Amino acid sequence: MTAPPDTVSWRSISPRYFWLRLTVLAAWTLVFAVAAAVAALLVSAWFLLITFAVLVLGSLRAVFMRRSVRAWGYAERAEDLLVRHGLLVRRLSIVPYARMQFVDVTAGPLERAAGLATVTLHTAAAASDASVPGLEAAEATRLRDRLATLGEIREEGL
Amino acid sequence: MRQRLHPLTPLLKGAKLVAFAVVAISWRGLSDLGPLHWLAVMGAILVVAVLVSAVVWLVTGYEVVGRELRVYEGLISRRTRTIPLERVQAIDVVRPLLARVFGLAELRLEVIGASKTEAPLAYLTVAGAATLRSRLIGLSTGVPHAAADDTAVAFSVDNRRLLRAQLLTPQALAVPVGLVFVTWQATLDPTWTLIGAASTITAFLGVFQVPVRRVLDEWGFTIGTDITALRVRQGLLNKRNQTVPPRRVQGLRVTWPLLWRSPGWARARIDVAGYAGHGEEQLRAGTLVPVAPTAETLTVAATVLGAAVHATVTAPPLDAAALPVTAPPRRARWLAPLAWSRIGVAVTDTLVAVREGVLTRELVAVPLVRVQSVRVTQGPLQRALDLATVHVDTAGGLHAVARHRATTDAYALADLLASRSRSARRAATHPKVSLAKPSTPRPATIPATTPADQLPPPAPLPPASSPPAGPTTAPAAVPPPARPPAGPPAGPGEVPPLPDRSPAGPPTGPAAAPTPPDRRPADPPPGPAAAPPAA
Repeated sequence: MTAPPDTVSWRSISPRYFWLRLTVLAAWTLVFAVAAAVAALLVSAWFLLITFAVLVLGSLRAVFMRRSVRAWGYAERAEDLLVRHGLLVRRLSIVPYARMQFVDVTAGPLERAAGLATVTLHTAAAASDASVPGLEAAEATRLRDRLATLGEIREEGL
Repeated sequence: MRQRLHPLTPLLKGAKLVAFAVVAISWRGLSDLGPLHWLAVMGAILVVAVLVSAVVWLVTGYEVVGRELRVYEGLISRRTRTIPLERVQAIDVVRPLLARVFGLAELRLEVIGASKTEAPLAYLTVAGAATLRSRLIGLSTGVPHAAADDTAVAFSVDNRRLLRAQLLTPQALAVPVGLVFVTWQATLDPTWTLIGAASTITAFLGVFQVPVRRVLDEWGFTIGTDITALRVRQGLLNKRNQTVPPRRVQGLRVTWPLLWRSPGWARARIDVAGYAGHGEEQLRAGTLVPVAPTAETLTVAATVLGAAVHATVTAPPLDAAALPVTAPPRRARWLAPLAWSRIGVAVTDTLVAVREGVLTRELVAVPLVRVQSVRVTQGPLQRALDLATVHVDTAGGLHAVARHRATTDAYALADLLASRSRSARRAATHPKVSLAKPSTPRPATIPATTPADQLPPPAPLPPASSPPAGPTTAPAAVPPPARPPAGPPAGPGEVPPLPDRSPAGPPTGPAAAPTPPDRRPADPPPGPAAAPPAA
């Protein structure tokens, strides 16, 4: 990537997020694979193909998981927050602090268990896509407080 | 002082309830009860409905206190809703058919962030509604609101053209085709039942209602401008008066539908943040020009855009269609074989405009002051061709999308848009914040003025701000120049960066993130009190 992506220093998200995503993926893959396997036993052997497909897709996803987690990055500039993510479809969002309506910090049960949280910055535009998952709890709090402070200073409304 | 709605309100609302009741029980009821009993039941319902509405009317009231509108509702669980008038996006006077018969009107307030139209005040007298609206707008904008007579008509639709234009829509053209098809089927196939024909016709009526409703809604469409706002009047049966303060306009879209191309017509919509309605309602809310010859449409669009950019109605017009557009590189035709020569983007200090579409051509313009965020996306095919798409998000439903730019250009463009929208915002809020500031609008100090090779055919910069101040930084390593160059400012029109707003602190790259950046000496400590007393 070039231009802004190269000229700012990106912060990456916690590597634990990779394991979290991997756990979730493994769980879902297993659920579907087992379901298909049971169906193969009960209904028709053709369902084994589905089991196989699920396992292959799951492993493929797992192979790319680390890269996709590494693709997440965020950068706090003086006036705006940059968030990038995505491997296949690459996305970069530039959201000015002045446009911030509110900040969400969410942590699902798994995220909590891993000590991680997701920070989402909401603007008046529904399409603004500034969500950073897999932040260490302390980092999430820091980011939230900083965003809140900056948002207050630069509050310019709509 | 607390005021009541018009005394005829309970009757009208009761009538509405009764209409529902009639529809609900008529068919079976009439045959089961016999006409006499049926009339008695209807009478009872009418009395109950009017009584209920009367009680509702008695306990409902509104009041303007300071810069707030308070609406009181409810008998058992009382509710007082307080609407801060600064947050009101638009105030409409709507006159449904029934209310028109009695000379009444409904006042609707559109509020930022509300999921539905807030506090519809129904019903008031027409004059009362107009007065109250003027008063509320005056309080909301801080400028005494002009009377309705002072409006200068900026555009008025030609009703015959509106009719013809709506006949030139796919929906309207589908109807004769459908009718032919249905008759053909009926003659060919004797088993084609009445129900089959009826349902087909219903389906076609459903399709045809779109142009019909457009005609009914946009009949007599007129835009007037006065000192504070755009005033829109429209409607054949339901009359609707809208008042849109120009600073609420988030963006503008001019559309040239395929079928309108030979007569040379276009239509235009504005996007007003805070319009809660969905679908049709929203569509109606944003019409700027229902149909007009291209030149006229563009003139109106330019007027409104100028007003939107400068947040005053008296601002000079701004013709987005005249901006030189930079096209995507030739290789984009692999992804957009037909559109690639059409699409393009133009950026000025105040505006971003995007051209789109092959069959239905479009021009989308967004004032940079209204930009909420900027995004770059790059799909796998785009990556293979080294292209990327830049999205400009606004608070409304309108998005300017610059498709298939060369990747480096796309990122440079995104950065340019981010920094220019920042400057534009600052220019818009600054005069209110600091009185020391000269009143000239701050020329966009664009650190991200990219090296000439970065952004192709130099994004049309107005000549005023051409020489970039100081050394051009690489595309926004640190968005504004790390420290303003000591000594006289570089550009001729350059205003020296002010201590209070320009980040004069140490360059706060992301590396230095944890320290709150650019805590400026002039600033009050952060906290709720630190919000600029702008609004």
